[in-house]
Formats: sequence, C-alpha cells, structure tokens
Amino acid sequence: MLLRYVTKRVLIGILQLFGLTIAVFFLIRLLPADPVSRLVGLNSSEAAYAQAAAQLGLDKPVLEQLAIYLGLMPSVEPGLLQGSLGVSWVTNSQVLSEVGAYLPVTLELITLAFILAMLVAIPVGMLGALNPGGRADKGVFLYSLFAGSQPEFWWGLLFVYVFYYQLGVAPPPLGRLSPMTSSPDMVTGFMLIDTLIAGSFSKFVEAFHHLMLPVITLAFILSGPIIKMVRQNMLRALQSDFVLYANCIGLPKKRVARYALRAAMAPSMTLIGILYGFMLSGAVLVESVFSLGGIGQYAIRSVLAFDYPAIQGVVLVITGISLIVYLALDLIHAAIDPRIAN
Amino acid sequence: MARIEQVEPGMTLIVRKRDWLFIIGVSIVSVVCLLALIGPYIGPYDPTLTTPRVAYPPPSLTEIPGQLIGWISGTLEYPPHWMGTDASGYDIFSRVIAAPRTDLAIALAANALSLVLGVFLGLVAGYYRNWATELMMRVSDVMQSFPVFISAMVLVALAGRSTTNIVIALAFVYVPIYIRLTRAEVLSQKSRGFVEAARALGNCELNIALRHVLPNSMTPALIQSSVTIGFAILLTAGLSFVGAGVRPPTPEWGLMISTGANQIILGEWWPSVFPGIAISLTVFGFAVLGNALERRYEEGQ
Amino acid sequence: MSLLQVRNLQVTYRSETAVSRPVDGVNFTINPREVVGLVGDAGSGKSTTALALLGLARNPGKITGGEVIFDGRDLLKLSEDQARAIRGRDIGIIVQNPRSALNPMLRVGKQIRLAYRAHNDATEAHARKQAVEMLRMVGINDPERRVEAFAHELSGGMAQRALIAMALSSKPKLLIADEPTSGLDVTIQAQFLDQMWTTVQDTGSAILLVTQELGVIANYCDRVLVLHDGRIVEDAPVREFFANPQHPYSQDVLRLFHERGGDFPAQTTAGKGFLRTEALTKHFPLRNSTKVVQAVDKVSLSIGRAEAVGLVGESGSGKTTVGRCLMRLVDVTSGKIIFDGTDIAGLSPAEMRKVRARMQIVFQDPYDSLNPRWSIADILGEPLRIHAPGDAKTHRDKAASALKLVDLDPALLDRKPRGLGASTLQRVNIARALILDPQFVVLDEPTSVLAPRARNGLVALLARLQAELGISFLFISHDLTTVRYLCQRVAVMYLGQIVEEGTVEQVFSTPMHPYSRALLLAHLFPDPTKRRVDYPVPAALQGEIPSPIDVPKGCYLASRCPHVTDACRAAPQSLQPLADGRQVRCMRVLNHEIPPDSV
Repeated sequence: MLLRYVTKRVLIGILQLFGLTIAVFFLIRLLPADPVSRLVGLNSSEAAYAQAAAQLGLDKPVLEQLAIYLGLMPSVEPGLLQGSLGVSWVTNSQVLSEVGAYLPVTLELITLAFILAMLVAIPVGMLGALNPGGRADKGVFLYSLFAGSQPEFWWGLLFVYVFYYQLGVAPPPLGRLSPMTSSPDMVTGFMLIDTLIAGSFSKFVEAFHHLMLPVITLAFILSGPIIKMVRQNMLRALQSDFVLYANCIGLPKKRVARYALRAAMAPSMTLIGILYGFMLSGAVLVESVFSLGGIGQYAIRSVLAFDYPAIQGVVLVITGISLIVYLALDLIHAAIDPRIAN
Repeated sequence: MARIEQVEPGMTLIVRKRDWLFIIGVSIVSVVCLLALIGPYIGPYDPTLTTPRVAYPPPSLTEIPGQLIGWISGTLEYPPHWMGTDASGYDIFSRVIAAPRTDLAIALAANALSLVLGVFLGLVAGYYRNWATELMMRVSDVMQSFPVFISAMVLVALAGRSTTNIVIALAFVYVPIYIRLTRAEVLSQKSRGFVEAARALGNCELNIALRHVLPNSMTPALIQSSVTIGFAILLTAGLSFVGAGVRPPTPEWGLMISTGANQIILGEWWPSVFPGIAISLTVFGFAVLGNALERRYEEGQ
Repeated sequence: MSLLQVRNLQVTYRSETAVSRPVDGVNFTINPREVVGLVGDAGSGKSTTALALLGLARNPGKITGGEVIFDGRDLLKLSEDQARAIRGRDIGIIVQNPRSALNPMLRVGKQIRLAYRAHNDATEAHARKQAVEMLRMVGINDPERRVEAFAHELSGGMAQRALIAMALSSKPKLLIADEPTSGLDVTIQAQFLDQMWTTVQDTGSAILLVTQELGVIANYCDRVLVLHDGRIVEDAPVREFFANPQHPYSQDVLRLFHERGGDFPAQTTAGKGFLRTEALTKHFPLRNSTKVVQAVDKVSLSIGRAEAVGLVGESGSGKTTVGRCLMRLVDVTSGKIIFDGTDIAGLSPAEMRKVRARMQIVFQDPYDSLNPRWSIADILGEPLRIHAPGDAKTHRDKAASALKLVDLDPALLDRKPRGLGASTLQRVNIARALILDPQFVVLDEPTSVLAPRARNGLVALLARLQAELGISFLFISHDLTTVRYLCQRVAVMYLGQIVEEGTVEQVFSTPMHPYSRALLLAHLFPDPTKRRVDYPVPAALQGEIPSPIDVPKGCYLASRCPHVTDACRAAPQSLQPLADGRQVRCMRVLNHEIPPDSV
C-alpha cells in the first residue's frame, strides 16, 4: 500500500520535473528580452549580431534548441540526458559546475537555519498550545504573526548594524570567511564540513562566526510560520476526540502526550517541506546582505545578465530539489499517518 | 469591556469583548491606505527631489521638541528632516510616507488580478473535472513549485522594469494559490445539500455555479488576500532591493533600504532603518487583519 | 449502598465570547448492577454530564462545582494519578462516534493492549491474546484479522464493539454508554445493545445509558433520568416514566406515543399508479474497474394520488437512491418512471424542468440543504422565480403563506438560516417543497436528524399536510414508528431490491419476508412493559449485508437468513403476490414453508 503510494508520487514527480524543464525553456524565450544585444552591445553591426546569435545557438529554430537542451542531439552539444545543463553565456563554464559550487552555500545556510528555527519554534509552539488563550499563548501567537511578516533583508542589515557596528561581536558581512583567509579545499562545498576535513579548527570557527548572523536572521523569519503551524496542529490534536478518549480510558499521561505529538507532527511535515523549498530561493536576500555567494546570488547575476542557460539551470535545480524535499516529507507524513496512503 | 446580552437559567451568558487583533489590523491597514492616497503630498519635501543636505542624521530625542516648535512657528531655515537624509540628499521621511503609493498600488493590483483570475479558474476546475481541468491543475502545481523569488525576478528583469511588469510577475506567482484555495472550496461546496436542492428545483447549472456555489466558495480566497497583499509588498521590496524591481528615484521601501545598505556599515543607520520599520509594521498589520478575518469566518462556521 | 452519587454537579464552558453552564446542579444516584437511562434534548448537556462523571470536561469546559462520589470517594477531589487509575478500570466509557474515538494512526489491537496494560499487570504476549479474546467476546468475527486493522478500516458497528471491548476489559463497576448507537443501522443497533447487555451480565457492571431514543430506554433501562435546563427534572422507574410522566418536559416528549393509538392510517383507493416505476435500475460505475455498484435493482413501485407510501430499509438498501432517481437527480440506468402518464426517465433537462414544478423533494439534513447566505425569502422565492415568474411582492406573499402553512412565523422571511433550529429549518425545507403546489413529494429521511421532541412535531405536521393538501408522498425512512403513523402502504428494501410490499397493517403486524421480520423485531418500540431484555429475542440475522458490488447469485439474504436452503442460494428470487394483495420476494414464503409467527 505504501509502496504503491511511493511509486505513484515518484512517477508524478518525474513528470512534473519534465514539464517544468519545458515550461522554463519556453517561458524564458517568450519574454521580450534580447540577450544577444546584451552580449554584443546595442550598436553592433548586423554581422556581429548574427555571429553572436549563432554562438549562443539562438539562430536555430526554437524546437531544435529545445531538442539540443534536452540532450536529444548530443553531437551538437551535450544536453540534459547527458547530464549537462549547458554553458553559461557569461562565464563560458559549465552551468552544472557553477551551480554545484554555489548551491551548497545556500543549502548549508538554510539547513542550519531550519534546524535552529525548529529547535526553538517547535517547543514554543507546543507551549502555546498547552495553555490556549493564556497570556503565554497570546504572546507566542503574536510573535509568530510578527516574525512571519518581516523583511529578512532588513533584519539582516539591522543585525549587522547592532552586532557588528555597535557591539563588534560579529564579523563584517563580507562572505563566508574573512577576505584575508584562504578557503580550504572544497570537498562537499559546505564550509563547515570542509574546514573540518581540512583539519583547520581555526577556519572552522571563523566560518561558524561568519554564518552566525545570516543563520539567525533566517531562523527568525522561519520561526514565525513554524510556531504558528505547530501551535495550531498541537491544539487540534489536544482537542481531538481520540485524545479525550485516551484520557477517558485512563491511559498514562505520557502515552496521551505521545498520541497528541504524533498527530500534531504529521501534518506539520508537509509545511516544513514547503517552507524549505521556498527558502531555497528565498534565502537570496540574506545571501546578498552577507555576501555569502550562494545560489540566489548566482541567480540574480544570471537574470540581470540575461544568461539563459544559467537561469534555466538554476530554476531547474532549485525546483528539482524542492520537489524531492516535498516528496521526502510527504513520505514521512504517510509513514506517520496510515490514512494517507489509502 | 463585558456586555451581558442574555441570561437564562442554566444556559448561556454572552459576553462581548473587544477583538484587539482586528482593531490593530484595521488601524494599520487604514493608515497605510490613507498614505497611499495622500502620502506624496503631505510630507515636508517632494519625495522625488533631492535636498542639499546630504546624509544628515535625524534629530535626537532632545532636539525634537525644539524642532517642532520651530517648524510650527515658521522660524526654521528649512523644514526638519524627521528621519534624516540619505547619501543622495533625499528626505527620508517624505519618501517613507510616499512609498505606500507604489508598494500598496502594486500589491493591490497584483492581488486583485490574481484573485479574479484564480477564483475564476478555481471555480471552473472544481466544477468540471475533465482532462482539461486536470491539465490546468498540473500546470498550476508546477507553477507553484517554481522558486517564487527567482521567477518574479526573471519575469521582471527580462520583460523590463516597469510597474506593470512587476504587477504581472507577482500575479503570476499568486494565481496558483488562489486556484488551489478556490478549487478545494468549490469541490466541497459542490456536494452540499443546497446545491442538489437547487438542481431539484430545476435550476440550470450556470445559475447554480454562479449564485450558489461561487458565493460560498470565495471566502477562503478573500481572507487569504489580506496576507497575500502583505507578502506582495515584501516581494516588491525584495525585488527592488536586489535591483530587479522599481526604478529609482521612485520612493519604494525596498529600494530605500537597498541604497541605505551601503551606509549601514559606516554607522549611518537611518536611511535603511526607517523604511524597514515601515515595511515591518505594514506587513504585520496585513497579517494580523487576515488572521482576525479568518477567525471570524471560522466562528461563523 | 449506592455505587455512584452525584451531588450538585456543575460544568461551565467559557470561551472568548460566551459563558454557558449546561450542567447546573445535577443530582442523581446509581446502584450496583442497575441500568439507568439519561435522556434530554440534543445539546442539553447529557454528554457533558457523562464525561464529568470521570472528572473530565471537553475543552473549553471545566467542572466548577459538585461532588461525584464513587465507591465512597469524591472523584473530583482525587489527584490526577488516582483519577487515572479509576478511569478505565472501575469506570468504563464508550462514546458516540466510535471511529473518531480511536487513534487513527495506531492499529486497533495495539490500542486495546495499551488500555489493558494500563490497568492490569500483563506481559505484551498476554495482552495480545487478551485483545483477540475481547474482540471475540463482543461478537466480532475473525478477531485475529480485525486486531490488525486501523480505525478507518472498520465499520461503525465494529468500531463500537472494539470500544466496548476496551471499556469492559478490566471489568469495571460502572459502564457509561454515551449515545452508543447513534449512526448505527437498526438491526446492528439491536445486535449491539443486546451484546452490551449480555457482556455486562458477566462483568456485573452497572450502566448509565445516555440516549435520545425512547425506544432504547424502554427496552433496556430499569430507571430513567431526564435532564433539562441543566438539572435532573425527573427520576423514575421506567414503567412509571412511560405511563405517568411528572415533569412538563417529559410529558411533552412522550406526547406522541400517548396520542398515537393502534390505528393504522386509512387506505385510499383513488388514482392508483399516479407515480409508478417499472424495473427501475441504477448502477454506479466504479473507477478503475468494469464492476458496478448495484444500488437499485429492478424496483417497481406504485404510489397513488394522495397516498403516502413508505420506503424502509437500512443503509445500503438503495432507498435513498430510489428517491434521487425519481427526482432525476441521478440518471437511471434502465427502467421507466411514469408520472401521471408520462415516462420521465428519459426526459432532457429542459423537458424535465417543466415537470419539476409538480414533483419536489425534502432532503435529510436541514442545515445542509439551505444556502447559508440566502435569506429565507430568497430560498422560498427560488422555485417561484424558476417556474412562476412574477413580481417581488407576489413572491413574497406566497413565501409568507408557505411559512404559515408549516406553522412558522412569516417574520422569518428576512432571516438567514444561521442560528435557526433544526426543526425550524426542516419546516422551511418543507415550505420550499410545497410552495409550487406539487402533486408529489419525496421525503428523504426528513426526521432522522431531529431529536425525538422535534420529530413528533414534524410528523404531526406532515400528517396534517397530507390530509389537507392531498399530495402523494414517498416517505423514505428507517424510523418504523413514524412510517407506521404516516403511511398507508410500505415497501421494504434490501440491497437494492424490494423484498416485501403491502399495506402498513399487513407488513407491520404480520411481516412475511425474513428480512422484514428481522427488521421489525430489531426495531425498539418504546413499550417498557415488553422489554427486549426481559423477553429476549434470538438473533434473527447473522453477519452483515453483502457488498453491492458483488451481489449474490441467488437470494440476496441467503448469507444471513435463518431459513435458508440450497434452493434459495441457487435461484434469484422474484417479487410475487400473496393472497392478501401484498408482494413478497421469497420462494419459501410463497410456498408457505415458513410459519407466519416464527422469527
């Protein structure tokens, strides 16, 4: 039963990814932008223009371009089926490797932010649910509404002002490590892990130090919706019929608490997945403020430069990861709650 | 303040208390709407013109009364810069209160567009279940999994940085949400007894869809609007912050924070902090209002 | 020495906008091994009282006063741990919605084990065996398999039995049964209550039976408590209660039973076959399969002018689908529906619209069948706008007269359905159906959602309307008492077929078909002088109804009938007339092989 559900979801996911690829491809080309002029200059000669267009592959008919992109014509250029996301029009390097360099930065940031947010938000949300309508609960609720509606880039700046400029406990927002420090060899792309692999504890501390403010900023924003949702789900669980009945038949308190917890966690899984997917691109603003060099900044650069392959690559990879995360969390949800798989 | 309405033996005592959340939400939203209308005109300076006073800090707390008196009595050399000026000499206060016109207008327009489109498509998708509507739902799903911020960025940057394009880009992002909300509600309302009763009376399907199903399915979308408008403001500000939104010198909170960001490291906090407070309070107001409306709706169920 | 003494119990509900006290000074006593019934209107606080006996209250309620003295100790003053020890062990409880009382994420067996081990020192292995045994004890077939099921995989009846197994597992001194049979079918209800009664004889528990159904009270209880306005207003032995109720509220509730004599409604002879069906069949296709759900199977029904015909059966009988087919809310698969000479089964929607002015339907759920955003005037005006267009004033006048016809105040015209009671809303439903002066009205379980007191009122209204207006009614219901009162003829349905059809006197006094007999036997008539528990009836039907997707080859009742033979299983049965004019679908009855007074 569960297996059928899993296979169905995976198949749908693959189809969606495929549809997505095509959609992105066409949408970008439908927009009235002219990347060739961008590359060659507005006052170029016709010949130069034509040459640039050919270089970018834009002189071919659209369907042929799509076929090449998908990898159906590997003799011309490797495509998706061969595992290539194309070549950046700006840097001329493989989009896949560029994405591979920038993506872990973002993943490191948001994963840490999520962990911090959940560590704080889940207990706080539960606290609110245990005493609904009480003073603590009202405070928790207002906080969650507040935190969830904040501009994260502004808070990032605020934190920089307070903790760097005024208090001096944080480093200047100039990247993952201080500009003077040489970065270790990138194995995984995650700075914290790589500094440890390289055996340099001082660099690890420095990396940690530089990640502090961005992680706190993001965690603050995330805590809003997570608290709101945990509180709501926990409240619903505590007031449900079966928890009441469990009390009626005299089950020990711990057991009843576990009943409620499991019922509250199951629907929360889906929301956490959605938030994670959202954050993959939503972290871009924080990345900019702290100059971390993550996928968001890569996206900004590509968009402003009209670098089609890079844009397509970023959107594809981010959406692909989102879909995988949704799938994983939905599966966890189905494992916790046996009603879903039917 | 308690008001006793009904007392019966053993039964109900109805006590009305003020709904603080609702009051706060409505107040903030009203102020912002008001500023959107008259904001650009009531500030001491023209929000699109610079002044010769560059990077002036705002008056300190002790200076404020003096400035006020001077301003009212007309003895000051120039009107006070209540929030200071930025690196180009713009008066921040005038721009902060002029910005709602841009931000709110974009957010309202985007929301209205996506609401109308989303509700209509959601109604159709919920009412008719055939391959066409299934396809539309799959497309909508895919649209929803697009990275929100990046799609908006792409659309705006590639189509040109005009207000209309920002509105369209935002609407594109929000339409799937409304489709999904409305469709879910339509699916559940479609099987309600009064719909069947209407059919039994001999109503034609169009009439049933428009007069029975639609009015009962719109509420979740309408409630969501409040929150969506708030997020649209955040999104607009974010886009402007990275340079993919409105063009300078249009007063817009995100843009102001962006231009002020360089000064923060130098210790000049006022160009970024005040617009940020404005966004923070505004979006909070919309969120609170949305939540209060949601609670009223649920109580009525 | 009493088992339970409740003194001045008070429960308060405090929300952000309202404070209410549904239990306000409740006093009563329960003695060992006694069966006490607790009746009251819907929302009167019966369930709140039941929960309070355990020291619990549903959020946002709190117990704010009184004593619950159980076995010499005040439960409300015990510590949390002491109270938990008593709950489930000395006092057991089963609740109204069994499937939502079970944890949806754990298997049923595990929940029974947890309940058992909470109060008994037992190993996991022993608890596993106990769980299976307990399910067997409460009459669940195949308990080894059922023990692994999840709550949503069980039927209502089975889930309720699982709850009983949990509640009685530690042989409690008191069992609280809070509306345990609401939502269950008639035959399942009787089976379940009989089972509960038998099991309790073994465990020696007293029962507090909370219910609205007077039939249940009359047949199972020794004593009756009436809860009204937060207090117990009557406390009497069951026979006295039914014979001589003291409090005005009790008298109100019992009025219809005293007023209804033994008379059956008079028969009509005019206009036979005003609406009749010929071999009406409805199959619902199944997704991803070629199989179909056989909801209605060649039903031939006949209703005369000004005649009320009852259509009875349990869930899965197809009676509701017949009603919807007649109204063309679903398209028939085959067969004819002849209304005043015309076959309406195949009419196009446009042609059907013209007929609809003459035939109407009243739905089951009054809350659901009225648009909550429309005013009553709009709701009543809708049929007029479609079929009798005119100016607003005429429509409003007609709406006002319709309201008066159903004993409602025309001032309700400008109100919305919000806040109006179930019986008022149901009357609006009836008014809407009558406003076009139809000739035929289908009533689909119009009283099943109503509490008994409201039910009485509505039934009286329907009887009056039928006498005054001369409309033909098809009354679909599972409430045999009401059908007996209102209808001239009745048809009994089982698994999509009519199994017996005749006058109400014939079918109700001397049911012939084994299913009709079982149905009537299972129906709890509110007569405390002939309690079911004092004159036990052997279980007439075994098992449960077969699936409408895989209908049996021979007689549909074969798997459950006590008179089944191989011939029954082999040949499909057909509806044939008996000497007295009724029709029966049973070969053995037709051959006089089953004596009329056996079960």
